[in-house]
Amino acid sequence: MTAIRDLSTAGFEQRYGCDRFTATVLTNRFGYVVEHMCARLLTSAFSPILRDFYDFAATITGPPSAAWPTPAMSASIVLFTGTMADSVRNTVEEYGVERLEPGDVIIANDPYRNGTHVNDLLFVRPVFHDVELAGFVNMKAHQLDMGGVVPAGFSIAKKNVYENGLVLSPRALYRAGEPVHDTWSLIFDNVRFGEVLAPDMLSIVAELDLGERLLAETIERYGAAAVQGAMAYACDAAAERMSTALEAIPDGTWVGEDVIDCDAAGDDEEYRVRVTVTKRGGRAEVDFSGTSRQARTCINATPLDAKTTVGIAFKYLFDPQGWFTSGAMRAVDLVIPEGTVVSALPPDGAVFAYWEQSQVMLSAVLRALAQGVGEAAIAGDRGSADIHSANGVRPDGSPWISAAQVGGEIGAYGGNRHGDADSQMLSYQANGIGVAVESVESEVPVVVLRHEPVPDTAGAGFNRGGASMLRDTLWLSPAQHHLMSLRYKRAPGFGVHGGGDGSTGGIWITDETGEEIHVAGMEDGVYRYPYRVPFWETGPGARLRYATAGGGGWGDPFEREPERVLRDVRDGYVTIEGAARDYGVAVTGDPERDPEGIAIDTEATERLRSTR
Amino acid sequence: MLGVDVGGTFTDVVSVRDGRIEVAKVPSSAADPAAPVVEGATRLGLEDASVFNHASTMGLNAVITRALPKIAFLTTEGHRDILDRGRIWRPPARQSDTSWRRPFGDAARPLVPRYLRRGIRERLLADGSVHVPLDEEQARGELEVLKRCNVEGVAICLLNAYVDPVHERRLRELVREELGDDLAVSISSETSPLAKEYARASTTVIDVFMKLIFTGYAQELGERLREAGFGGELNFADCAATLLPWDEALEQPFRIVFAGPAAGTMSSQRLGEALGDGNLVCCDVGGTSTDVSLVVDGAPFVENTFELEHDLIINALSTEISSVGAGGGSIVSISASGDVVVGPSSAGSDPGPACYGRSGTLPTVTDAALLMGILDPDGFAGGALKLDPELARKAFASLDTPLPLEQRIGFAFRIAAANIAEEVTNVVLRRGGDPRDFTLVVYGAAGPMLLPAALHLMHARRVVVPPHPGNFSALGLLSTDLVYYDVRSAYVPLLPESAAQIEGVFEEMERRLRERAGKDGEVRRSFDGRLFGQSWETPFVQLPAGPIDIADLVERFHETYERRYGNRFPYIPVQGVSYRVELRVPSEKIEFTSPAVESDSAGRAIELRHFADDPLEAAEYERVALPVGTRLSGPAVIREGLATTFVVPGQTVTVGHLGELVIEAAG
Repeated sequence: MTAIRDLSTAGFEQRYGCDRFTATVLTNRFGYVVEHMCARLLTSAFSPILRDFYDFAATITGPPSAAWPTPAMSASIVLFTGTMADSVRNTVEEYGVERLEPGDVIIANDPYRNGTHVNDLLFVRPVFHDVELAGFVNMKAHQLDMGGVVPAGFSIAKKNVYENGLVLSPRALYRAGEPVHDTWSLIFDNVRFGEVLAPDMLSIVAELDLGERLLAETIERYGAAAVQGAMAYACDAAAERMSTALEAIPDGTWVGEDVIDCDAAGDDEEYRVRVTVTKRGGRAEVDFSGTSRQARTCINATPLDAKTTVGIAFKYLFDPQGWFTSGAMRAVDLVIPEGTVVSALPPDGAVFAYWEQSQVMLSAVLRALAQGVGEAAIAGDRGSADIHSANGVRPDGSPWISAAQVGGEIGAYGGNRHGDADSQMLSYQANGIGVAVESVESEVPVVVLRHEPVPDTAGAGFNRGGASMLRDTLWLSPAQHHLMSLRYKRAPGFGVHGGGDGSTGGIWITDETGEEIHVAGMEDGVYRYPYRVPFWETGPGARLRYATAGGGGWGDPFEREPERVLRDVRDGYVTIEGAARDYGVAVTGDPERDPEGIAIDTEATERLRSTR
Repeated sequence: MLGVDVGGTFTDVVSVRDGRIEVAKVPSSAADPAAPVVEGATRLGLEDASVFNHASTMGLNAVITRALPKIAFLTTEGHRDILDRGRIWRPPARQSDTSWRRPFGDAARPLVPRYLRRGIRERLLADGSVHVPLDEEQARGELEVLKRCNVEGVAICLLNAYVDPVHERRLRELVREELGDDLAVSISSETSPLAKEYARASTTVIDVFMKLIFTGYAQELGERLREAGFGGELNFADCAATLLPWDEALEQPFRIVFAGPAAGTMSSQRLGEALGDGNLVCCDVGGTSTDVSLVVDGAPFVENTFELEHDLIINALSTEISSVGAGGGSIVSISASGDVVVGPSSAGSDPGPACYGRSGTLPTVTDAALLMGILDPDGFAGGALKLDPELARKAFASLDTPLPLEQRIGFAFRIAAANIAEEVTNVVLRRGGDPRDFTLVVYGAAGPMLLPAALHLMHARRVVVPPHPGNFSALGLLSTDLVYYDVRSAYVPLLPESAAQIEGVFEEMERRLRERAGKDGEVRRSFDGRLFGQSWETPFVQLPAGPIDIADLVERFHETYERRYGNRFPYIPVQGVSYRVELRVPSEKIEFTSPAVESDSAGRAIELRHFADDPLEAAEYERVALPVGTRLSGPAVIREGLATTFVVPGQTVTVGHLGELVIEAAG
């Protein structure tokens, strides 16, 4: 097939039903539509998971007759957008294309059909032009609760689909604009926090209305053929960019592996993700053979999550700009055996903390590709979302809940050829709003005592990783803590291109009597298994400490300019000892009390660097 | 009346005397920014001017280029990295871009390096109670370090200080004792007493920078203007283009960090008033970018915060202005898939478009307009600059694409127009509006040339090209009131028993504002609220003056919410978050009047190329020669000193009673 850029004017119009100019305009328009839908939902949502964590996404899908292209996915939570191309199709096909009417909203949430987990409810709105089905606008959004044995679902201990939560096969939430009573009742008879879910769901439907209106206006103006052609164009262009970038690197076969510490059934089993990436010409195959069997509690993921994560890794390395589309994965084949930790099966392969598995998959794929892309390799991030949640009752009897606010949620990226990494991010696969300390403290009986980087924890490198973030919290009333930390045994922030690994993380509790308990992490070569109790209970005055893992470094640290090492010493990211040990740079002076008085000892530095 | 807009390249001075508008353009001076201001003002005549209104982008430029004085940041021990953290999030468009860093983070270009951010042992809780008393000895130890580092200013933001300023005030005393009385110091509980520590901290840091940048400058300017004979009031424009007496501005100079672009919105609003049109999209098309803002029902959209860079937040009232990287100097390139791409990079003014002949070799939108025949090679910028079509042609020929030359040129022009049209649609939609209800006011040097061609893409009602489109923004400084304002945070459920507390907050703020202003004016109250369970506020719920009626507040909130989000949740309780008072003191303003027509002349036939498949026969006019009431059909090109208006086929243009050009789809 002729490459898009080489198409003649007539050839382009023949292939895409519109001229180049219109295709460009419409590609941008699709992106705007999904971003509008997301921007308005963010600021109107009720659940902290939506309003702060941006745990939702929007897409546009073309009609079945055009093989369901997805030309635009919002740049919010990429974990969703990658699965949505398939989940919209799976949902609508099962519901029945022929049953669709204008004003319908179809929902579904089964991870084995849709990817991600049951809390992520998919909302699909068909868009008609005249009487023809012209496409869909869609949102997937994390609902604060979807039933199951644990409030809000945030637990990795659930053992099967029955404990996990309510599964909704594809069904109508609205038919021809009218709410379907049965469906609303089914949901609200089975979930908690209905006062949060109801306005959130109504707000999501308001965004579908907006998306539908924008897409319908676009079709009205440009015609259905041009819009459909532009959808194909957006996907083809993404596929072509990916395969062109793949062609530019040498062929090869590379293996990458990474590991999750345990599940909540015991610390007797680790779960390994192994990928073999084979690159030939403009195509690649990613084979998950050799990956561990599915876990016994709900830390599993499904093949659509695996597909998404591979897509994210490839996008980071080969086509970093712009929106994700369903064309991005056309050049990549996947081999995924059944019943592994990334392809779990119901009813026992329960799926909740799928994103932790996605983090491990991302590490494995990035490690494999690092062998093929040379200096374009990117070092590992802190490797986990490290989500903490807590709940309790105030002295006046009112309940409180804190979800994903004051644990290890904020952590480091890895370094790359463009420079040092930020220490305070979410992860490579998530983007969201960090909650203000003052907001948390006005709603939850907690005091954030400190939140800062730990010196000498960033993976050393010519460009270093981000540092481990230490957060100490003081709990003013009795609390139950739920942890979702699965990567504290070994450093997830791997170094690349000669860079060093970041530090490993950990969790500690100092109870109200002053006794310190090492809850999670390594101590003298022994793993502290955090799920030895179902949850951690603390009394008033107890302290909780999180130290996230450090990000990996890029390039040889002994090549780093001494001036940049000096600046890190002055700013407290690296100690004087660390500068000598990790970077071969000798610094003199007192960085704490006389930060501008410190200096590089040039001779000693030369000695250190030549005797490595 | 005088207005001055100090930009990075030029300082524009406008004078209005007896309804007559005069303009002076003087090159800006980084070393002595007051000099060109005084020079331009003197040229236009200062003696009988009653007001001198000043806007400048000096503050913004200093922040963006990090040409900043050395200051320290003091906060609660354990929290000095709030300035590295921001609100965490990445720009959506940079989701998987490995070159992105938080622009103000420690891995990129921090405003205050970490070693000058020091923790002070103290802690207040959310209810204002003291958890850890202020440890003065520890604080003095930290101040010793700062003294050793010779900082020029100190920003103080302690956790929960918006509830009680006691520790911040004492700490400021310690700073003065240890580092001297003349040091610039701001404390967050006075600068911006709002909840959420990051925005309050960054606002306070910017405030200290602006004190250091503007204090000496304002005194210098005031003195030189007086020496030159000026005896009126000197006012500074803020981010919402409202005016503050200069001494008031220096109390909270974060408000004036970014003045200038908002003035264009004010100018549009004023013109809209004169035309009886209250719903406007204001488009200022410059060399590098296009600024888009809205006027709805006669008022600009004002935000309660804005960002100097991605996530670098300032808690200041500011006109919502959205920027898209498409302007006259935007560079045209070809993407990997063969798309013609316009911007975001720009040739700026140096080297400028290829046709300027200043060694620029990359094609720009201006080059396209020249090759199309829209721009006159001899009459550009009032004849000051000759344009070379051959250089423009070479630049387009050098693009690596199989597209024929004429398509490259035509596409580039239309894509620039379409990009701006997308942003316009975007801004209107974000505010829940429908473009069909709006008039597009188009100004800036490249606006009238580019935007009528995009009218049909936006479904807007019509395009209006105002008089003096090249200097239209600066006129906004003479279109605005003096505004004193204050804002306070208190998380209060809107229940009948809260009325007294809320009323107390408003009355206290109003009393102080009247004291500060020393005169009375119109009082406007508003509050930002949210539905119970939300974390983002719905801002600017307008309130009447007088006793607080909670039921009325709640109803007004629900109305505002429904307009914005399309849902109404009457069963969810409403929480008040921030309460705001504005005291408006009317100031003298410009009046637009009917222009005098110099001569009446017929159009001249010219040929326009590359816009359609075949060349177009068009008519060319001089704007000064078009009397009120003239009605013409496109294609037409209307020239004036600093701008060219391009009316496309299928459009008509009418000269309105204030000399404005009104462009509409024919029929």
